[in-house]
Amino acid sequence: MPIYLYIDRGSVLHRMHPTVKVLALFVMFWSVYWVDNPVALLPLGLLMLVVAQIAGAWPNFYRLRWLFVLVILVTTIAWMVFYRKGVPLVNLRIISLSRQSLMFGLGRGLKLAELLATSVLFLSTTKVEEFTVGLASLGVPYRAGFAITMAFRLAPLFIDSALTVAQAQSLRGYDFDKGGPLERVRRYVPVIIPVFMGALRKADAMAMALEARGFGREGRPTSFIEYPVAPRDIMFSVILFLIGFAYFMIYKTGYGAIRPG
Amino acid sequence: MIGVIGASAAGKSTLAKCLNRIVPAFQDGEFEGAVEIDGNALDGALVSQVAATVGMVFQDFETQIFSTNVAHEVAFAMEQVGMDRDEMRARIGPALAAVGLAGFEHRDPTNLSGGEKQRLAIAAVLALRPRVIVMDEPTTDLDPDGKAEVFALIHRLRGQGLTLIIIEHELEELRLSDRVLLLREGELIADGPAAEVMANSDLLMECGLRPPGLNQVIAALGAGAHAIDVDHAEAVLRERFPSLPRAAEAAQEATADPAAALAPPIDTPQQRPLIELSGVRFSYPGGPPVIDGVDLTIAPGEFVALIGQNGSGKTTLAKHLVGLLKPTGGRILINGRDRAALRPAQTAAEVGYVFQNPDQQIFAATVLEEVCFGPRNFGLPEDEISRVAGEVLKAVGLEDAVDRDPFLLSKGERQRLAVASVLALRPRLLILDEPTTGLDYHEQLRMMTLVNDLNRTGIAILMITHTPWLVAEYARRVIMMFRGRKLFDGPVRRFFSDPAIFEGSSFRPPEVTMLARRFGAVALSPGELADWLRRHI
Repeated sequence: MPIYLYIDRGSVLHRMHPTVKVLALFVMFWSVYWVDNPVALLPLGLLMLVVAQIAGAWPNFYRLRWLFVLVILVTTIAWMVFYRKGVPLVNLRIISLSRQSLMFGLGRGLKLAELLATSVLFLSTTKVEEFTVGLASLGVPYRAGFAITMAFRLAPLFIDSALTVAQAQSLRGYDFDKGGPLERVRRYVPVIIPVFMGALRKADAMAMALEARGFGREGRPTSFIEYPVAPRDIMFSVILFLIGFAYFMIYKTGYGAIRPG
Repeated sequence: MIGVIGASAAGKSTLAKCLNRIVPAFQDGEFEGAVEIDGNALDGALVSQVAATVGMVFQDFETQIFSTNVAHEVAFAMEQVGMDRDEMRARIGPALAAVGLAGFEHRDPTNLSGGEKQRLAIAAVLALRPRVIVMDEPTTDLDPDGKAEVFALIHRLRGQGLTLIIIEHELEELRLSDRVLLLREGELIADGPAAEVMANSDLLMECGLRPPGLNQVIAALGAGAHAIDVDHAEAVLRERFPSLPRAAEAAQEATADPAAALAPPIDTPQQRPLIELSGVRFSYPGGPPVIDGVDLTIAPGEFVALIGQNGSGKTTLAKHLVGLLKPTGGRILINGRDRAALRPAQTAAEVGYVFQNPDQQIFAATVLEEVCFGPRNFGLPEDEISRVAGEVLKAVGLEDAVDRDPFLLSKGERQRLAVASVLALRPRLLILDEPTTGLDYHEQLRMMTLVNDLNRTGIAILMITHTPWLVAEYARRVIMMFRGRKLFDGPVRRFFSDPAIFEGSSFRPPEVTMLARRFGAVALSPGELADWLRRHI
């Protein structure tokens, strides 16, 4: 089973300059952050669907489909429990279903789903190396940028290791599904400790291997791959700035909020 | 080419790491003396500054690959030293060609085999054109195919004027070294030509190493010489003992003289089988079959070696026995009960599974707690648990370590602890996945003596292994998997007596059994062959 999200295609999104990709990630997070109203969030959602189509990222969305459904449903319902404003249309005791709570819950669900979708799109079209280059060109120090991108590369390895550890413990008669919600979380200790210790060992070995390849010398490393800036990169950047600005204005004018009534 | 040999903790890695300043940069401690490379003292240099002169390849190939494509991986070190782009481009092709990975430029390293990954790591080091390459147990985590690939590459590289320093504990691979350094507890015990150091079987044993099997046979017959391969060993023995039989003569003799077969009796189990598989198939959704119609029974008390190259279905098959995977066809019975109706935890007390890497299950604060974990999951009374824990810790030789922190144990001890914690559930079948990987000879012997003793107490053993001599010297039955099917299932002696069985597969029998065949004998261990030869001199 492939554990990385990167999909090797030549789409226009794949060919975007790494800096623009990282900028796009930032602008999407920024735009989503400012608005709560699902109607205001909808255009971003639609944009992401179009981008997914262009990038050929559907397989990743399909793989994560249940996560998206869960995020939207659970968040929407959870907020209906806590957000008790507006005139209830139906009062189911725990859940207060009013137009306002529904909008707010849906907005939160959509927000999370869009953050998730942005990340999926980014990882579907960006190689780890491009991520490093993109971060560096936006002023993040090379070592810090490398560390961040390394975390992304290692995550699948740790997930894999966690699965093996969970298998080993279940074969020692361990039942992960016993007890209430808190107890269940606590029951993952026999998985977390071996994975964590393994990660420490690996980190140590990796640090040695990195330095043995010259990592950490003085002076800026060169880059094997050239990332020329194409006219379309400038165009994309302008569009991104406009989107970011537009969403900030939506927030400023109050259209991004949920209105009572 | 210099081979560095010694048991675990003899100081091999530490010595090697001094050459590129990882010691003392990464390790606390006192460092004295001087290291010179090519006439230049390394005092005070950073590891990253030495990188272009001394390249280093590590054991764990997963932790030395950082990129998403092969070309980029080779470029990584060159980027770090600030090389310009044209020079990098010019060097990538030759570096990949040198390790036999030409044409792999755009592949994703995560999809390469272990051997390919390790060769890629070597290419990445080669691209900097260092004077010295140090390889710290480069093949320990590899299967036999991967090992063979990497050593073939090492022998190609030595012809190119590079200084190669190879740390290994399987001495067979270092027989062609120009020079061998033998370490024990941090001291240099011997330093000389391979023929000299490796012919001294007694000294190697004393230092916790397994002398090459061929040399053991030669030494046992009093002809102290160093054989570089089976042909050479045969020539040495025939020269010394001209009366030794030829394969053709002895074959007839073997059939005529039952004593010549030297076989311990093969168990013919009459009891009800512990495990029964009929027509078991398995494939991942949309994938080709990984297990393709396997019938198999395992009786109580058997000792079975499960062998086959990577991807042949060994581990997949074993995971079916414990219920981690469910067959897509066929049927599995555990003690007469249908596996499909049972969850993995429900049969944990019947079939135990020790994973290859003990660190993937150890989590408790003390050795005792670790062993008690399984029985507690089954809700056994505490007095019963401490009795069982005491017994199994004694069985694995860790009875004096009950209060120790498992993470501070040696690799061999951690491996035995993992066995103990599975044994604590009193399984009737114990599955061991590569129980000796990464252990030195003494630790391997200790582990295998333990497994053998457990087997004598009636526990059936199913051991997945790549190590030919373990199969020959310990197992009584061999199951060989090939592309998801059983290629062979029978007594170990029959397996080794007929080379046609594993012809075409990547299985390489121990050299001792190949040497025995030259004389028309079937021998599974150096001792057995030496005895046979003595009777035929």
